[in-house]
Amino acid sequence: METILSSILTYLSAGFIQRAFIIGIIVAVLSSILSVYIVLKRLSLIGDGLAHTAYGGIAIGLAIGGLEPRLANVNPFLVGGAVVLLGSIMITKAIRSAKFAGDAAVAVFLELGLATGIFVTSVTLNYGFDLNALLFGSILLVTWSQIYAAAFFLVLTATVIFIFFKQLLYTIFDEVQARASGIVTWKFDYLLAVLAGIAVVVSIPIVGILLISALLVLPGLTSMQIARSFKQTILMSPIFGLVSVVLGMFLSIIEPNAAPGGSIVLVGLALLVAAMAAKRIKALF
Amino acid sequence: MISKSGKESVVELNDVGVTYPGDIEALQHITLEIPKGDFVGLIGPNGAGKSTLLNVILGIIKPTTGYVRLFGEPISPKNLRKIGYVPQIPYSKGSNFPSTVHEAVLMGRIPYSSPFPWFGREDHRKVEEALKRLEIEDLRKRKIGELSGGETQRVFTAKALVGDPQMLIFDEPTSGVDIEAKKEFYSILEQLNSDLGITTILSIHDLAVVTQLARTIICINRTLYFDGLATRFDANAILPKAYNYPVEVIKHGDHP
Repeated sequence: METILSSILTYLSAGFIQRAFIIGIIVAVLSSILSVYIVLKRLSLIGDGLAHTAYGGIAIGLAIGGLEPRLANVNPFLVGGAVVLLGSIMITKAIRSAKFAGDAAVAVFLELGLATGIFVTSVTLNYGFDLNALLFGSILLVTWSQIYAAAFFLVLTATVIFIFFKQLLYTIFDEVQARASGIVTWKFDYLLAVLAGIAVVVSIPIVGILLISALLVLPGLTSMQIARSFKQTILMSPIFGLVSVVLGMFLSIIEPNAAPGGSIVLVGLALLVAAMAAKRIKALF
Repeated sequence: MISKSGKESVVELNDVGVTYPGDIEALQHITLEIPKGDFVGLIGPNGAGKSTLLNVILGIIKPTTGYVRLFGEPISPKNLRKIGYVPQIPYSKGSNFPSTVHEAVLMGRIPYSSPFPWFGREDHRKVEEALKRLEIEDLRKRKIGELSGGETQRVFTAKALVGDPQMLIFDEPTSGVDIEAKKEFYSILEQLNSDLGITTILSIHDLAVVTQLARTIICINRTLYFDGLATRFDANAILPKAYNYPVEVIKHGDHP
């Protein structure tokens, strides 16, 4: 026990671990705030779709830098972010047009992003491209500029949700009723998709493309199991997000071979199972 | 705008038609007026376009032809706020929302409350009034997903009432509700119409309920088959045409 504690304390004194915890906490709160809205709007897979779109965008960003020396300083994450924003708008447009079922629209963009990423990286022979970091996260390599960007987007997202709290709430409660009462609901569909896109780009360094939707789904889903009101649901979601990220990261400190992304998501899943069990036990009495 | 009955009309449809993609005509040449304070029963077979008609009135579907006026003016967010809408409960996403009854009813205040992200004292007062009128004060802290069909229906009606509506629209409100709860619910609708003077449109399948409750009956099957007083509604003459198959109405006492 003492060895584990001293090894945790040694790790916590390292700058890169501190940065990892700071961005982990920021991303946990950011994705958990959105999580309740995304789950209730039945957009749980949008995180996956947007993350794969980001992969395509980041690959294009890297390729641009490689092919055109004057653009070598362009941050591939900026290109990825721009492509994700475009993707979030297009996915929402496809879902709203009713030409696609929601899950089919997400699947189309997921495949488009993945295929673009694979195509671009293969034809540009971009061997310097760290595919592992993108797919599984690279939280230990996070820089202060990434932390500042994540903090800025957390404040931006929280502010937007605070300002439009009532309209967003009514839109996810029942869009038909919201429209019938004069609320222009389509704007909030796009707003939610764009905020999810921002959360995806910011979260890529933490859990990677493959596990991103877990951060956007599990905290909200878990809090819905045990909360007794919507207010509680909204307040408990960031707590579950934080517990998953912090415990997951401690797990990967205790077992240094465990990737933080996987540990975080496994803790999140364990919390969901525990919340579902608690709900069932409570129903018996 | 004054209706045929001499009263101010709250809904006016003029030659309204709705065509869905694929040239599916849901409504054709619907012209009607609903006077203030009326209780309208909207009937027609499945797929007759009843929900489409309600959606046209609610501004959710734009008519392909013709026009709609609400409270004497073209449809706008301002006059839509004068309408309270109660959806078919089993198909409403809101019926499983993770909120308490109080929170769900409070959501009905969103179009009327301040632009700030929180609710004010007036919003909470309106919620208490509506809960009391619907006799569901004791359900205040329950989660809406845990309620019976009848209780959920009352919650959604309370939610529609908190904006002080001048018109209430109910789309098949009692599907999935037991007989006793239906009776109590209809008596509340009658009270809302007679005590508060709220114009009511009730889309429903049950002919006995329509003839008992409604002053006016509108019968459609894509086109208008009847629009007039319930007392003049000759079910045996109109229903076989509107439903497109032989219908015989058997009376129990005064009611079909």
